[in-house]
Amino acid sequence: MSQLPPTITLTIDGRTVSVPKGTTVYNAARRSGIEIPIFCYHDRMPPLGACRMCLVKVEKMPKLQTSCTLEATDGMTVFTTTPEVKAGQEAILEFLLINHPLDCPICDKGGECPLQDQAYQYGPGRSRFVETKRDFAKPVSLGRVLVLDRERCILCWRCVRFGELIAGDDALKGFERGFHSEVNTPFTLPVKSKFIGNTIAICPVGALTAKTYRFAARPWDNQPVASVCTLCGVGCALEFDVRDGAITRTRARESPAVNDIWLCDLGFFGHTYVHHQDRLRTPLIRRGGGLGEATWDEALDVVARRLRAAAPGRVAMLGGTRLANEDAYVAGRFFRSVVGTNHLDHRTDAPPGGASLLAPWGMTSSLADMNDADVIVLVGCDITEEYPVIWLRMKRALDRGAAMIAVTPKGLEIDRFIAHHLVHRYGSGAQVVRALLEAMSGAPNGAGETGGVLRDAITAAGARLARAARPQILIGRGALDAPDGAEIYGLLRELAARLHTSVNVMRGKGNAFGAALAGLLPDAGPGGRPLAEVRHDLESLWGAAPSDAAGWNAPEIIEAAGQGRLDVLYVAGADPGTDAPDRTRWTEARGRLPFLVVQDAFLTQTAQMADVVLPALVAPEKDGTVCNIEGRVQRLRAAVPGPGESRADWGIFAALAERMGKVIAYSGWEEIFDEMRSLIPGLEIDARVPRQGSRIQDPGSRIQEARPVDGADTDFPLILVLGDVLFDRGAMTSRSTAIADLAGEPWALFHPEDAARCGIGEGDATVVRSRRGSVAVRAKLSPAVLPGQVFLPRGFDAAPANALVDLTEPLTRVRVTALAPVAGGAEGRKEGGGPL
Amino acid sequence: MTTLRVRIRQSLAILKGLAVTFRYLFRPPVTVRYPEVKRAAVQPRFKGRHWLTLYADGMERCVGCELCVIVCPSQAIYVRAAENTPEHQVSKGERYATDFQINELRCIFCGFCEEACPTGAIVLGREYELASFSRDAMIYTKPMLTEPYPGASGRDPQREV
Ligand code: SF4
Ligand code: SF4
Ligand code: SF4
Ligand code: SF4
Ligand code: FES
Repeated sequence: MSQLPPTITLTIDGRTVSVPKGTTVYNAARRSGIEIPIFCYHDRMPPLGACRMCLVKVEKMPKLQTSCTLEATDGMTVFTTTPEVKAGQEAILEFLLINHPLDCPICDKGGECPLQDQAYQYGPGRSRFVETKRDFAKPVSLGRVLVLDRERCILCWRCVRFGELIAGDDALKGFERGFHSEVNTPFTLPVKSKFIGNTIAICPVGALTAKTYRFAARPWDNQPVASVCTLCGVGCALEFDVRDGAITRTRARESPAVNDIWLCDLGFFGHTYVHHQDRLRTPLIRRGGGLGEATWDEALDVVARRLRAAAPGRVAMLGGTRLANEDAYVAGRFFRSVVGTNHLDHRTDAPPGGASLLAPWGMTSSLADMNDADVIVLVGCDITEEYPVIWLRMKRALDRGAAMIAVTPKGLEIDRFIAHHLVHRYGSGAQVVRALLEAMSGAPNGAGETGGVLRDAITAAGARLARAARPQILIGRGALDAPDGAEIYGLLRELAARLHTSVNVMRGKGNAFGAALAGLLPDAGPGGRPLAEVRHDLESLWGAAPSDAAGWNAPEIIEAAGQGRLDVLYVAGADPGTDAPDRTRWTEARGRLPFLVVQDAFLTQTAQMADVVLPALVAPEKDGTVCNIEGRVQRLRAAVPGPGESRADWGIFAALAERMGKVIAYSGWEEIFDEMRSLIPGLEIDARVPRQGSRIQDPGSRIQEARPVDGADTDFPLILVLGDVLFDRGAMTSRSTAIADLAGEPWALFHPEDAARCGIGEGDATVVRSRRGSVAVRAKLSPAVLPGQVFLPRGFDAAPANALVDLTEPLTRVRVTALAPVAGGAEGRKEGGGPL
Repeated sequence: MTTLRVRIRQSLAILKGLAVTFRYLFRPPVTVRYPEVKRAAVQPRFKGRHWLTLYADGMERCVGCELCVIVCPSQAIYVRAAENTPEHQVSKGERYATDFQINELRCIFCGFCEEACPTGAIVLGREYELASFSRDAMIYTKPMLTEPYPGASGRDPQREV
């Protein structure tokens, strides 16, 4: 039986307040609606007592007390408005303003500044300080997005403590003493963090401001629109501030179940692509060699004609992660009932036969469950790069004593928080997980190593795992798409069964969950219901029934196109040219494809090869709903109108249906959502729906042994490890300039030993070459990758990782050559240096 | 009888009133024949068309703070700020107004903007001939509002408003 914490009763300003023992006076007052001004205290962090703004008078205590640090005790009598308190508050504010420049007219915080507001409400209105104020050079640039004004800083340490306590990245630190104290980055290098936007949000003054928002608007110019971030799968609640039809900035919206009050920097600074000049404004049709502007009528006519002419089984559709739930649902309806094909899949980036196609994408635990975990098993998932805000929850669990066991083919940025980090050779993940399971059941401690990991480490991790009470198991793309991915997934399911939990499949960006939910899967209709089961309902709603036979999945669609078995491929909100695991295979498929339609916001790699391109809206321009990785349905609100003639995705499908002689008519997203609700039980805004997707009846039987990894290859001695990173340069991110700058040039990570062997230094221009192709990247050296392996991030259009991959090989082997600059300019570069 | 007395009193009252009329008929008029004739000067605190004033060195006083925007009761002002750079230093400090518009049709010439301005950048001048043939022409842009040379507005930005 859980015991209620004992309650204590105190009096604040004559009001009797009962609070649990351990509550601070400040929180007790706030709970009873009594306001006490604060600066340094932040309710997501423990009290510090640095600013002394929160002074109160406590009976029988000789001096004023800081209420944020003072624990309330039984029978305490507190006053917050006596003349003594008032004098204290005035003195503190006068003191804080001694060195404050009070340059509100040119300060970005003006109009929403706690210091302004509190100086107004509690301040003396006059200063006795006539001497010269402290003078710092300003503004100081701290990297691509952050600007510091040291004169305005009131040294509350919120930003520093955010990095220490919440993000764990120690991005900002305090330097010097007393009068000279200042906040800065270690070694005054550009700030290194994925969460620095949050420090701007919690800084109570205009000391930390965003470069991207510099002087763009005053709070009263901004119209806030509550919506959701769709840039990764976490689906953080946010607010777009809109001025003159353009988004000026993004702010986190409090959502206790999802992002609490935080966002990552991709969410903060990654939405400027919306207004980029490269947005598609009119439909494009390929005439002669190039794509030329066309009217909607022309473009829709061409597409409808080709769709009508093709046999239904020779039409396929790819994509969905960039669509809202309603768009995806109407897309499913259009292709299943009007075109008559079941070849639909949103998993464009899944390799054939891999675990990504077997596992249902999404989490079974809620994000909030992460806070309470006592053991977190993270397999093949770089959480800060892929689902950054989930890390903040994991960090909370770790702070409370949870242990993290990570099995990854590369070191992670959060290494120092991982109790048992098993960094293994790529392709040996299954061996390590198997050894971990054995160690968990107390198998004798073998000597030596497994997959590059010391047995001792595995044994220790297994022992911790055996004691897990509230475990969370997560598998990511790094494991699912590995050659032994299916085996890893099967083993983790076994582990989950033993621990009475389930495996969270950390897969899918944007609205991948919603695309599956809405039915963009070859073998399942809306709600993940098998086609045979859902057929009757669909027939009565849509007037036409899809066939029961499962369609092709994404790799099969690309394969079919390559074999000339497709007449029309329709790509909506996806970029297989960049995302498909094997670019060569995709390019060949495109070559044999008679007709390719791409519906997107930019001329992506795929759209450049299309026959017809239809301009679509992006998430901040849409009304509707999206799902995040835990299946929470959230409301998307249009903040700005789309550019030119771009249209909502579902509207495009409805218009096409009309041209094909069928009716798909909805008055708006609400009607579509209502129809979806009639098909999908439990579909409600802000509620979670269970994950969908191909189900594995018997995981054991479907799991193939990993293909034997052939021996070393002297021509291509390094093994390529691919991974997603938060800041990349894809179709959207390269057009959000801050993100493109944070991402920098395409890069690859080498182990210092490998680099030394072929004379590569940090920052050198190099070429990574496989038998399939090559990419030019800057070298970064780090022991985070194991010797003999290279880490190459996906998502850089200029260095497409999938150009190196040959899906017929289990592992991609590469060699690296340095690009030696030749005197005579950049053009005169040639490959130099010996092959590695 | 009483009626007759009342009538006489009323007639006299009319004559008395007309006497005033006739007296003024032969005096010089107080009005002027605008626009042929114009007044020499307006009152010192007259509120006419806006100017954005310059420092003596030609720098703009306005820092684009938007305080005038928020104080304006008729929402007549639009300001968009931007950052000064060493190559393009428009005002003193970090911030300047890259766009500044006032809709003189909306303005009620209350002078609040002058009062709110922390730098004395915006002043209400003496000019009152603001008529135009289109509404668009009544939206004064930044080049129209900015003084052609420091002091051209004829207003002292430091004065008590
Ligand atoms: S920069 Fe802001 S948050 Fe950081 S210590 Fe200074 S005032 Fe506090
Ligand atoms: S964690 Fe994901 S959803 Fe949240 S702000 Fe960052 S990119 Fe957006
Ligand atoms: S004078 Fe009054 S109404 Fe006119 S612009 Fe200024 S504040 Fe607005
Ligand atoms: S005119 Fe004055 S109040 Fe208006 S934006 Fe410029 S500096 Fe601010
Ligand atoms: S808020 Fe209590 S000391 Fe700062």
